[in-house]
Amino acid sequence: MISEQLLYSLAGVGLFGIGLRATLLHHMLLLRLLALNVCGAGVFLIFIAIAYSGVELMADPVPHALVLTGIVVAVSATAMALALGRRLAALNDE
Amino acid sequence: MIELLWSIFDITLVLLLLALAWTTCSTQDVKRAVTLFIAMGLLLAIVWARLKAPDLALAEAVIGAGISGALLLSAIKDYPSNMVSHRSTLIEGIINSLTLVLTILMSWAVWHGLNMSDGVRLSEPVISQLPVSGVSNPVTAVLLNYRAYDTLLELAVVLTAVLTVLTLNEKRVDYEFSSPLLQGMTRWLVPLLVVTSGYLLWVGAHAPGGAFQAGAMLAAAMILLQLAYPSRRQEFNNSLLKILLVIGIFTFLLVGLWMMSLNDDFLAFTPAWAGTLILIIETAATVSIATALTLAYLGGRPRGWEDTNRTSRSIAENGGAG
Amino acid sequence: MMNDAIIWVIVIPLLGSLISIIWSRYASIIAIISNLLALAASIIIVANVYQYGPFNHALGSWQSGLGISLRADALSSILLLMSMIVISAATFYASAYFTDPVKRARFWPLWLMLVVALNALLLSGDLFNLYVTLELLGLSAVALTALSDTRAALQAAIRYLSIGLLGSLVFLAGVALVYMGYGTLDLVALSHKVQAEPLSQVAFGLMTAGLLIKSALFPLHFWLPSAHASAPAPVSAALSALVVKVAVYILLRLWVDVFDLVLTPLSAMLLGTLGAIAVIWGSWQALQAQRLKLMAAYSTVAQIGYLFIFLPLIVALPEGPVQDAAFTALLLMALTHGFAKSAFFLSAGVIQQYCGHDRIAELGGTARALPLTIFVIALSGVALIGLPPSGSFLGKWYLISGSFQAGQWWWVPVIAIGSVLATAYVFRILGYAFGPGESVGRVLNRGREEIPALLLALFATLILGLGSFELWDFVAQHSEFLRG
Repeated sequence: MISEQLLYSLAGVGLFGIGLRATLLHHMLLLRLLALNVCGAGVFLIFIAIAYSGVELMADPVPHALVLTGIVVAVSATAMALALGRRLAALNDE
Repeated sequence: MIELLWSIFDITLVLLLLALAWTTCSTQDVKRAVTLFIAMGLLLAIVWARLKAPDLALAEAVIGAGISGALLLSAIKDYPSNMVSHRSTLIEGIINSLTLVLTILMSWAVWHGLNMSDGVRLSEPVISQLPVSGVSNPVTAVLLNYRAYDTLLELAVVLTAVLTVLTLNEKRVDYEFSSPLLQGMTRWLVPLLVVTSGYLLWVGAHAPGGAFQAGAMLAAAMILLQLAYPSRRQEFNNSLLKILLVIGIFTFLLVGLWMMSLNDDFLAFTPAWAGTLILIIETAATVSIATALTLAYLGGRPRGWEDTNRTSRSIAENGGAG
Repeated sequence: MMNDAIIWVIVIPLLGSLISIIWSRYASIIAIISNLLALAASIIIVANVYQYGPFNHALGSWQSGLGISLRADALSSILLLMSMIVISAATFYASAYFTDPVKRARFWPLWLMLVVALNALLLSGDLFNLYVTLELLGLSAVALTALSDTRAALQAAIRYLSIGLLGSLVFLAGVALVYMGYGTLDLVALSHKVQAEPLSQVAFGLMTAGLLIKSALFPLHFWLPSAHASAPAPVSAALSALVVKVAVYILLRLWVDVFDLVLTPLSAMLLGTLGAIAVIWGSWQALQAQRLKLMAAYSTVAQIGYLFIFLPLIVALPEGPVQDAAFTALLLMALTHGFAKSAFFLSAGVIQQYCGHDRIAELGGTARALPLTIFVIALSGVALIGLPPSGSFLGKWYLISGSFQAGQWWWVPVIAIGSVLATAYVFRILGYAFGPGESVGRVLNRGREEIPALLLALFATLILGLGSFELWDFVAQHSEFLRG
């Protein structure tokens, strides 16, 4: 059986690929943002999969902290992107 | 036997995750995409818990699925519900093949990487230095002591985003839907959320939790309040809001600079005081994060936000300068 | 002293940003003071590196890469100094440029955040910290671009944000792989550990790709022209001169420092080729542009291309004074462009405010109306073309001689064509500006705006060119990695 590290790392790569593809394909901002977030989730998953050290040992806390930072950055960027989209829509309506 | 069950569980989790990601990314219906995304966020929280990252599970649930989800849900109405994005088949083909190649390359790299690593991670130094760090939760130690500088910059990122959201658009006036059910639930939920948030802040020093989770939960409570009682919306003093927004970074800087004057090293906490200092910083950060996330969700300029000239009430009357 | 200066150069603008949120009425003064103080700190840092050599400081003094280190060597400190000079000049400019108090109140906190991001990035010695600074940089740059509040600006800002986030995520994926393989994020530690193997190769590719997006190298440049053209003038100056440059800086740092065993001559050649295409394509588009700021933006695309042409040369040349010379030439070109382009954008802003537009064909009469501004444009044009005594003349000279020495003569026609096209588009502007049109004006129209621009242009054209020998020595002696 493949190790959890490998399984989840590959899952992370998969998420990254899925998100990347969708980011490049979508025109609409909202859908692109969702895809970017999925992409980010993939990277985070890779980090946490590396950190996992099995049932006995404690997981490596550094990637946990990094991903926490990453999640906060992602939500900030999402909020800003949505606000920009709203402003553009308002300008387009004028 | 147990091994097998765990493996089945893991594989199921991974397949579900990939399936959710795929459907989220390939659907063209905005509402559906957001809903699936929120579901994926919750599933991700479970994955974090499975991979022994409880701090992250909390954060993902509150911030990743909760706040992000709320933001995305409230943005749905701005977008047409069924716009088909057509890229030419050639470009689509190129993008598909490029991402496929990249995915394969990365998988190959991961395969080799996991085999080659000699298991040397930073966990040992983290644990060994823990007694000097002032807290016993290793993630908090990393976030607020060893790599506190990163957290400082991260708070700056949040502030930048909120500043933009606050000044870009007119204030939203579409939260008029409320119901007795929502109000009833809110009466129970908000106090609960506030207390839990305080608990998370306090407990972050020695158990999963911390400023970000606490701040986001507090923001959730505030958002809920605003949604349930739109007519009774408090117009906060704008100066107070601004102070609340900056107090997190400000406290962080003050403590860091104070430590620099004492120990000749920015953000180097004297071990004896480290625990207290971290708690002070985290409290201020929680307040700022909660304010920031709430304002980010509500969006738009509060009345009189850009009233730089205090004497011009007329600007405030007209709902903010244009 | 050095310890403190490194911290102050990041902390002072951050404090300034916070205070300017609270006291928006005094925001201009706060910003000017903050930036001048940070400029002083950056001078101290450069002086210190000059005297004592490269400087590495682990924040918190945690052992074995547990914390984050800040580092300064010749390359980063010089770029830091340039950055603060450009920012200070643009700050003076911006205090006069924005007349609407609302825009002003929005501008200053974001502007100071941009400064924080730039400085933190240049001094960072940790991979994940680089990611965070890149994000701060990207978000503040986008927010500042959107400040123009026009449809074009918002569209450009959204595109800039989307592609910027993508670039950061791809970069972060590389960081994840690096941590997976080597268990550390510290640049110095990594420079010893990284070997050529599948993991590091893919990580290298990912990080390079993310940074190429941020440096706007052809063909990933498409987001730049509209963003730089529709942002407010001081913002455009910072974007073209600094924001794009620091991405190239990180790439250079990673290539030469961390991944030097991983990179292949082929990859360097690939980037060089893309750079060559950027030079020709960017210059051609600049010639076609109808608007001054759009022309300047395309010119940036071309100038970034020149920087990338250096890569295959640096990789191919043997270690020693010849390689050092090529490296310093790259720095010289980057610096010259930074000063020249920012001066150009600031002047374009003056013209736009005066004429109400920036259409090149309708610039008739501006030479009489805004003589100092047109003079500045001419000066910066000299630096963009690469005429002596500007720094870029020396830079191009070494680029050409380096090409011959490395046996890669094919870059030379590219440089020649690029320079010819640059001459064309600069003289096109001057031609129209000196053409017939109404109005006569005083020499100094808007002092607070024009003088900073003049100073920047002088830096580009005269000071860098004449002072380049000191620069040569400085970089050769004190670059961390060039000494092995």
